[in-house]
Amino acid sequence: MNTPEIAMQRYHDSLTGIQPSLTGAELPWLAGKRRSALEDLTRLGLPQRRQESWRYTSIDKLLGYELMPVTEAMASLQESDIRHLWLPDLQTHRILFVNGRFVPQLSDLSGLPAGITVGSLRDLIRCNPIMPARWLGHASGASRHAFGAMNSAAIHDGLVIDLPRNQRLERPVEVLQISMGRDDAILYQPRNLVVLEAGSEATLIERHVCLGNSHYFHNGMSEILVQEGARLEHLRIQEESPAASFLHGIFARQAADSRYEYSGFSLGGAWARTELNLDLQGEGAHARLDGLYTTGSNQLTDYHLNIRHTVPGCRSDTRFKGLLHGRGRAVFDGSIVVEKEAQKTEAHLNNANLLLSRRAEVDTKPQLEIHADDVRCSHGATVGQLEPIQLFYLRSRGIDALDAQRMLCMGFAGEILEQCRIRPVSDIVGRAIENELNALAPEVAGASSD
Amino acid sequence: MLNIENLHASVDNKPILNGIDLQIRAGEVHAIMGPNGSGKSTLAHVLAGREGYTVTDGQVLFEGEDLLGLETEERAHRGVFLAMQYPVELPGVNNAAFLKASLNSVRTARGEAALDAPAFLKLARDRIALVGMQDRFLKRNVNAGFSGGEKKRNEILQMALLEPKLAILDETDSGLDIDALRIVADGVNALRNPGRAIIIVTHYQRLLDYIQPDRVHVLANGRIACSGDGTLAQELEEKGYGWLNEESAA
Repeated sequence: MNTPEIAMQRYHDSLTGIQPSLTGAELPWLAGKRRSALEDLTRLGLPQRRQESWRYTSIDKLLGYELMPVTEAMASLQESDIRHLWLPDLQTHRILFVNGRFVPQLSDLSGLPAGITVGSLRDLIRCNPIMPARWLGHASGASRHAFGAMNSAAIHDGLVIDLPRNQRLERPVEVLQISMGRDDAILYQPRNLVVLEAGSEATLIERHVCLGNSHYFHNGMSEILVQEGARLEHLRIQEESPAASFLHGIFARQAADSRYEYSGFSLGGAWARTELNLDLQGEGAHARLDGLYTTGSNQLTDYHLNIRHTVPGCRSDTRFKGLLHGRGRAVFDGSIVVEKEAQKTEAHLNNANLLLSRRAEVDTKPQLEIHADDVRCSHGATVGQLEPIQLFYLRSRGIDALDAQRMLCMGFAGEILEQCRIRPVSDIVGRAIENELNALAPEVAGASSD
Repeated sequence: MLNIENLHASVDNKPILNGIDLQIRAGEVHAIMGPNGSGKSTLAHVLAGREGYTVTDGQVLFEGEDLLGLETEERAHRGVFLAMQYPVELPGVNNAAFLKASLNSVRTARGEAALDAPAFLKLARDRIALVGMQDRFLKRNVNAGFSGGEKKRNEILQMALLEPKLAILDETDSGLDIDALRIVADGVNALRNPGRAIIIVTHYQRLLDYIQPDRVHVLANGRIACSGDGTLAQELEEKGYGWLNEESAA
């Protein structure tokens, strides 16, 4: 057998093995979902390079790891280990996950208003499975690839938010997702479910960090339903370990007059793939999707956007920027589909990349597929380097070449950071990018002369 | 202060400057005039150290030091300042942060302490008044979305903050209406002092109605065709530049 077949067999066997021990194994609806996902896994097979959405992405390295699926946190942390990882100067409802498992003793959900659910999917399945039974799999639909099927075959824990009608959650929900590998590489598969009922409003901040430099595979999925007139601001900071493999599929569905605002910051990981599937299904729904990624040597940032306008009068504005250095690689595959009925759609998508090194590489592919005839749509992509005239201007004002490059890079990133309304988030991201640029200073200097 | 000898320079292997000789003393204001393509802007950029401008012969001494051997930022540290004809837009770069970084790099190089945020802000507000702008100017991104007049005033603001020894104004008057021109000229005049030399590169005489030069040089075909006092500018306004080409062709 070759590597993919061995890996497939291993995934299948290990998932079959853990299914009986997963939360709610005795619930027929859930056991049924998991079983059929396992069948999907076999049917779909592992992604192949000949498939368009995997054309620039090799999973060979990932398949080489003998991954151990975990359903427990596998680590015990003290408050002092994680204190510095919460956002400063911001009152939030804090919820901690370690290797995908909710850690109640280090979370703080004490201030939650009555009637609002913020917590662990596992707890909800055990105590009150009505909501997950109704919504799990609703936004995601059938598995689109083997990794999605793997996640659904092992639904166990993750974030759950259920906001009743017209409830406005004042403080943001802050999710800290800590990965801690062990000697053997682990696989964990969080499954998040966020339902904002009609007229409700919330801010969700997710931060993915790693303690240590070990290898792990985060294979996560988030289902997000934004009902009529509801509003969700969703921020994600993703700083994985340099050895990590990370795949997360977000499936968001918007009903009429809803708002979904996404700001995603991808800063780390050997392979970090985000799939963002957005369905605008109710008239008057608006979405704003902003993204920023930085990618250096031995890294691949892999973004796949699938935005679908199915009804009239919706709007989506998508802007992603990438900063690449060293031998960093990025894939940006963004598509907008406007269906025949979706008249008066306004949809824009742009991807800009700044290459600080000649060895960095980006494959960008913005696509627009329009079946309606009365729409305003645009798409575009740029790949460029720092403008010599801008560098000259800064240097002629006494600013040395490295600082000038840093200022221009921060300016490039700043156009996305400015959009982020939660200051502690943009501060953390800004500082992380600054540190990344400082660390590669000599390399940047070399790049301008080679 | 500035001593240019037999300066030859080319851009893309095309000779533009063909032997410039020029001496400027501290406290003097020199105007460099000439038709399009005569090499005025090239001279300004060569002095500031722009890449792609190759000096093929000659030398430039600035306070006795070989200016051409210095990096662009080192020239700024020594006190050379170029106000650009087309000030560059820096999207996403905050004007205040840019001005502060610039000022502090020059101050540090001069052996002065870097200014902290409040001290910088105080100084910046003071200088902003000089160019007739508002404080909110500081909050915007560098030149991005600025009108032509605002960009030029931002250049003069930088000059007022950096207090250079040698200021080169490259076509600062181009694209300005009469009010903006007056504000820019007032700003420049306020910065005239015995320790500072100013070079005004211009196609037209109108800026010189507001800033009286000590010397006027006319450039043609990469050389100084003639020099004189302020009245030479007046003369050029009447005669145009046509006679220069006839003369150099002869």
